[in-house]
Amino acid sequence: MKIRILLAAASLGLAAQAHGEVAREVASWTPATLDKTLSTMPAGDVNRGRQVHQNQFCASCHGVEGVAPTRNWPSVAGQRAEYTYKMLKDYKDERRNEDGRADPMVALARQMSEQEMADVAAYYASLPLGARNSEPMTPLQHTLVRKGDPARLLTSCAACHGLKGQGGKNESPALAGQPYEYLVRTLENYRNGLRANDVHHGMGQFAMPLTDAEIDAVARYYAR
Amino acid sequence: MKLYASLFAAGLAFATSAVQAEAQRTGEMMANTCAACHGTQGRLEALALMPLAGMEQEEFIRAMTDFRSGARPSTLMGSLATGFSEAEIKAMAEFFAAQPLK
Amino acid sequence: MQRRDFLKLLGAGTLAGSGLVGRSAFASAAPHVVIVGGGVGGATAAKYIKLADRNVRVTLIERNPIYIRPYGSSEVLTGHIGMSDLEVSYDALKNRYGIEVIIDTAVGLDPVKQEVATAGGSRIRYDRLIVSPGIQLHYDAIEGYSKEVAETRIPSGWIPGSQTQLLANQLKAMPQGGTFVIVAPGGPYRCPPGPYERAALVTEWMGRHNPTGKVLILDPKDGFVTDQTMILGWNRLYGFNVPAKFREGMPTEGEWPMRDYAEPSRLAWVPASDGGTVRRIDPVRMELEADNGLHRADVINVVPPMTAGKVAYQMGLTDEKGWCPIDRRTHESAIHPNVHVIGDACIADAMPKSGFSANNQGKVVARAVVDLLAGRPTEEPLWKNTCYALAGSEYGLYVADVFKLKDGKIARINGARYLPLDATRAQIRTGAVYQQAWMKTITDDSFA
Repeated sequence: MKIRILLAAASLGLAAQAHGEVAREVASWTPATLDKTLSTMPAGDVNRGRQVHQNQFCASCHGVEGVAPTRNWPSVAGQRAEYTYKMLKDYKDERRNEDGRADPMVALARQMSEQEMADVAAYYASLPLGARNSEPMTPLQHTLVRKGDPARLLTSCAACHGLKGQGGKNESPALAGQPYEYLVRTLENYRNGLRANDVHHGMGQFAMPLTDAEIDAVARYYAR
Repeated sequence: MKLYASLFAAGLAFATSAVQAEAQRTGEMMANTCAACHGTQGRLEALALMPLAGMEQEEFIRAMTDFRSGARPSTLMGSLATGFSEAEIKAMAEFFAAQPLK
Repeated sequence: MQRRDFLKLLGAGTLAGSGLVGRSAFASAAPHVVIVGGGVGGATAAKYIKLADRNVRVTLIERNPIYIRPYGSSEVLTGHIGMSDLEVSYDALKNRYGIEVIIDTAVGLDPVKQEVATAGGSRIRYDRLIVSPGIQLHYDAIEGYSKEVAETRIPSGWIPGSQTQLLANQLKAMPQGGTFVIVAPGGPYRCPPGPYERAALVTEWMGRHNPTGKVLILDPKDGFVTDQTMILGWNRLYGFNVPAKFREGMPTEGEWPMRDYAEPSRLAWVPASDGGTVRRIDPVRMELEADNGLHRADVINVVPPMTAGKVAYQMGLTDEKGWCPIDRRTHESAIHPNVHVIGDACIADAMPKSGFSANNQGKVVARAVVDLLAGRPTEEPLWKNTCYALAGSEYGLYVADVFKLKDGKIARINGARYLPLDATRAQIRTGAVYQQAWMKTITDDSFA
């Protein structure tokens, strides 16, 4: 845990250096602060959200219909509104800024109001979620996705993200149909502390003990 | 000097024969012009611009045609995409699809 | 690094990573390509020859052991980056691609013996020579201005170096309410939007550090590359009133309209038709005599007239105007066979003199030279030029060009060249993000 915090601190330092700014202290999420943020999230409007999607240039990276036209960035169609809203706030506050790929998001989220964030989140939630691939489950995937590994305090992925990758309650994102490379990178970033915008580093703690082969297996399971 | 002159003549001969052939550009020649933003042979580190190496041909073709039509918003890709024919886009797609990711 | 070590490295897996794969047209007796000038053009040509055929022997002659990139160097003035951020190493070209880099100054050419002479006394034989000479600045072309003045009192910095740092220091030390004058160039010059981007970034910086200070552009032209889109940015960010001839098509409603201001902007631009042409500079009194009268300045930055770099003259590659005529298909000199000229110095018709152009010309010449050496027909070329420029650190514009060969000339063939005037805030903001990424991608594509 100590190592992780150190790594996270180092990555914050790097990010700040890259942007030529002084690192701002942004408090990590706690269940209480997240509850408060999500309970005060404005009601989103799908039609206004479609406009935000156009005006904020979202389609340039996330696709015209919210399906990523590249392995470099995630699909947003069908994503849970709470997750999209939280991500936009995290980018705005630089809780999430893992590498140069996040630069456009940080810049654009800063231009958005909470209402616009809620609207675009509602719009994406209204779009169909992509499907995970139809490959049969391997034994390793069965262990990680369905059962978990109590010996390593690994909760099963499906417990929060669903067996089909449909997502869970609140901010647990849908994963189905994401680009494989995006899922691998995300797990790697949770594992090495570069991404630390989760509540009490919850996801980080699950990712930390994963081997490369396990990350590959989980990513392959949920990917398009 | 004689050798040199004949070399020069040979060079001219090549240039002429190439002009007579139809003006077809290789996928590599065109794809190389993308590399100053999208990385040598389409390979890029973690940056705000997207890598092209290993991209599926269909994905590349759709990207270029959507940029060109304006369906997909862009800064300058919409303008650049108007500079290429369908066949040229296809040739670039083939080149990038064949490039290893790393 | 010794050649043997390099080969070892290749064995260790660098080969695939560097893209140095594929078949070679040359087994033994590999041809020797010599490249003079290790700027963007020369470096890119060297690397892409190796990518095209690793068996070609490539020697790069460059006088400076470290390259200082000119693109983005205006960001040093505002402290966004430091001088060391402009430094680019030749190590990757040497170690990753096996290019021989000789730190020496090329001073002459024997086109018959096919030899380059260097200041260090070497004579280096080539099968094909690529010259990427860059530019030289003609300080003396403006009365009262000189290289000595540029290095001590009125910097140019258009070729970055100590003058860039001097200018940054002068800007910081400028008295509150002082005037910063940029003298823009006429004729063909490196980085067409550059002087106007620099003016914008300095104006933005002064908004925070010297809010009563002024920026004045004196210009011997009536327009410039990106003009309407840059001017709209100035209007939005600095309250610059858009001159009548640039108002057509400007947004007057919507999320971010053009506005008219009663007060003059802190940024002023005097085009030639308003008397912006500078005739004389007095470095002691810090005065500029322009067609519209005398201007007093606290800091002056001059972009003097320029031509092809000195070595292009020494090698006899220039025309009467000081630029290098070429066969556009192969960049082969119209004067000396087996010698190719690329970058700012060559006459490339519609292509602007930019780092991106030099990068693309480096690739076209690399392919052409390898094909010519192998006795193959040369390929039909294609070039692009994309330049991101800033009207403010979060306001990105661009130039977007695709070029093909038409009737022996390089012609622009794609759609709109500039950011649309009705671009959204998000598009503009994204352009500035891409501009920062592009500084790295073009440097890596050329040097790494």
